[in-house]
Amino acid sequence: MTEINEQEIAGDFSMYFGPAHPGSGNFSIKVEMRGERVLKATADPGYLHRGFEKLMEYREPMQNAVLSDRVCVLEPLQWNLVHAEAVDYLMDYEVPERAKYIRVILAELSRIQSHFIWYAAMSLGTGFMTGFNIAIGYRDYILDVLNLITGGRVYPAGYICPGGVRKDLPEKAENKILELLPKIEYMRKFALKQNPAWLARFKEIGTLTKEEAIKFGAVGPILRGCGVESDVRRDDPYEIYDELEFDVPVMDEGDAYARFTVGMQEIEESMKIITQSIDRLPKGEVKTPNLKPIVQFQKAEGEIYIRNELSRGEGAFYMVATGQKTPYRVKIRGPSFTHMIPILEHLLTDVAYADVPAIYWSMYQCPADVDR
Amino acid sequence: MSSNSKNISLEEKLIKNLNSKLGVPINFQKERRLWTSIDSDKIVDICTKAYEMGFEHLSTISVTDWLEEGKHELVYHLWSYSYKLLLTIKTKIDRKNPNISSINSIWGANAETCERECHELFGVKFEGNPNLTPLFLEDWEGPPPFLKDFNWREYVKEEMYDQNNPREEVYFEVKK
Repeated sequence: MTEINEQEIAGDFSMYFGPAHPGSGNFSIKVEMRGERVLKATADPGYLHRGFEKLMEYREPMQNAVLSDRVCVLEPLQWNLVHAEAVDYLMDYEVPERAKYIRVILAELSRIQSHFIWYAAMSLGTGFMTGFNIAIGYRDYILDVLNLITGGRVYPAGYICPGGVRKDLPEKAENKILELLPKIEYMRKFALKQNPAWLARFKEIGTLTKEEAIKFGAVGPILRGCGVESDVRRDDPYEIYDELEFDVPVMDEGDAYARFTVGMQEIEESMKIITQSIDRLPKGEVKTPNLKPIVQFQKAEGEIYIRNELSRGEGAFYMVATGQKTPYRVKIRGPSFTHMIPILEHLLTDVAYADVPAIYWSMYQCPADVDR
Repeated sequence: MSSNSKNISLEEKLIKNLNSKLGVPINFQKERRLWTSIDSDKIVDICTKAYEMGFEHLSTISVTDWLEEGKHELVYHLWSYSYKLLLTIKTKIDRKNPNISSINSIWGANAETCERECHELFGVKFEGNPNLTPLFLEDWEGPPPFLKDFNWREYVKEEMYDQNNPREEVYFEVKK
């Protein structure tokens, strides 16, 4: 890192990166500049604060299932799953085996399409429009299948609900999912290999050490890109993840390139999970028998902290029930909360302004789960 | 099943270990979930000890507003990468005087950001946290919005709508 030479000061000023920047999402950073260098960055969230935690205190579990989609636009099925698991535990539901498999298949499909968006946003932010177009195009193949299964392309409207899933898989859905896999693999290879010049842009910038990553609360691909082998699916397994075989990709460099590569390697593991789940998909019910959530939630008392591995890392629901129709308190922990505020502010200290977009999008941001 | 029973015996050992090192009773909730309840003045001490024992990841800090009891319950969720366990530390503070020490000496900016959120939404004051500026709500002058005795529906009606305006009357007819 070069020292700032006092005599070459072009002028000190501060400006905003986002929220109107294309692709920055509903999020901005105030950067304090000296010439072309960023001295300090301050995150400015709040453009997408919808008060979900408070809203959920006013709604019944099935209504909250629909609301939980909206926590993050880019991975709604996974947020559905975290919410459903929290309510399942509080209501003491035995989720049927088939429903667990369907939940996992959909969560992994959702992870893959979210990783495609990551590639798309990184391309868009660094001026590689072809990458953006192709990734969004390939994501659409997955959305078509999600549309077939859940009835919604982006928002599944609470498809993964407390007690199981809302409806069984339609006819031939398994085949449609399997037909997707070669397309996903093509896109994954394209992202990792097609444009070495573009990929080189991310090397050795925004480097986070292992110790810093743990201290600042990094999770998911950001943490694994720093050499920490940690995955909630393996360390704190939920649904059927403990029965499936998959690897946890890790890289030691800790820079933007490592984070992105880990993410793209995860797509391969997700495909393994999908193939295994479809192979073993049992027959049977997809909902707990006698599902009466309003009545049953009034008997629920207690609290639970449910963690899941979302696309961006650990996402969690803390839910307290006191025997009312609605939860007494809901706290949502979004993975981007730590990535976008403390870690981004740390990484954007004394860097070239030209590196800001590359570092920003390598954090796999989702402003929606920062603000909630 | 064998791995399950092995896990449970490991957890029992760890509970004993934690009991003696932290000096507080540790309770078992379910597999990989432990919790404890402590006095609010011990929070920095216990969190430091837990961090040194391997609970390195501060997952989040949450506040539950127990209105009838007149208390705020602060809940710290710590995950250990080595034990693969979640330790939940709970502590109650007075609702009228919601003060507690900041744990930024351990988790730095991560803890400070979580505390900023709790301060903004529940009005909890974290002594020692230099940056308690609001995160989400710009120019908000009302009470902390997530408190149980703050009725946002009423607040929105009073602040945003005019009962005498015929186009907005409808909002006042909606059932509570």
